[in-house]
Amino acid sequence: MKVIKGVLKEELDNSLRMKKDYERELARLPKGSLIKKKIKGHEYYYLVLRNRGKVKFIYKGKISEDEIKRYKQAKEYRARYRTLLSETRKQIKFLKGALRGKKSV
Amino acid sequence: MEKSQYDLCVEVLRRLDKAGVLKHIVLAGSWCTLFYKSFFTGIKYVPVLKTRDIDLLIPQPSTIRVKTDIAEKLKDLGFVIGFTGSQGYIRLEHPQLIVEFLVAERGRGSDKPYSLPQLGINAQPLRFLDMLAQNTISTKVEEFNLTLPHPANFALHKLLILQKRQKPEKAIKDKDAAVQILLALVDKGEQDIVKKLFHTLPKRWQKRIHTSLADLDDDKILSIFQ
Repeated sequence: MKVIKGVLKEELDNSLRMKKDYERELARLPKGSLIKKKIKGHEYYYLVLRNRGKVKFIYKGKISEDEIKRYKQAKEYRARYRTLLSETRKQIKFLKGALRGKKSV
Repeated sequence: MEKSQYDLCVEVLRRLDKAGVLKHIVLAGSWCTLFYKSFFTGIKYVPVLKTRDIDLLIPQPSTIRVKTDIAEKLKDLGFVIGFTGSQGYIRLEHPQLIVEFLVAERGRGSDKPYSLPQLGINAQPLRFLDMLAQNTISTKVEEFNLTLPHPANFALHKLLILQKRQKPEKAIKDKDAAVQILLALVDKGEQDIVKKLFHTLPKRWQKRIHTSLADLDDDKILSIFQ
């Protein structure tokens, strides 16, 4: 029992640390999502983001392929990290519950 | 164990193999017990309880000529870089698996991370790890070969380090793992390998192993260390 509790405690510490690391990585990713608008036959890019509950469109104009790729990659990583962060939060909840046992909250 | 965790572990090892790094690595820690299953085929053997962290030992860091960024190689799997300890040892974290790197601590030793710039990481130096790399076995995992310490070395290493553990439950876990491996080795008829290895160890280490086994009443194991 002592061994299992020790393992659970170690895993809880790991998950708490991991949660912070995923939150840090999410904060590091460039904000917003890139959208393309076609105006009079020309393509222009806008960055869409939410600022204090309001949706903002920031004009980016014509941007390089590299920057388009960077935003696309950031979008993919954001989705992946959010899924993994959610998984980590569920682990924390489970591990805290398992360690608490019958003790009151 | 969840299938997804095993699959993720294999994918990590596969990527290290493709990058030319896996041949420089010996798997250490409790994950070895899982891969010993093929070594103990036909013998009653159950891998011990293990945590998510997988320890990768780099016995000869200076021999790695290949230049690669391991963190970048695993990034699309969802691994992020984490730092542990007051010294900042790097580990690669995923909710299913945590990858840590180790090197053998030699000489006077230091608790500072051992920098591995060619791999873009650092490793934690720990005592007695040379023992794991001295005698190794190779096991086929999917399409690549994985190097593991010989189970005898693994078991004696566990018995050596358990007295240094700060958490008593970790020491119990180490002892359980060592005993289980030793019993499987006896069943396989390889107790002489353990005996031979034990007698090559310095007297102080032998004494430590005797102390670790002080309260054990299994004659099959105790007879090895007479």
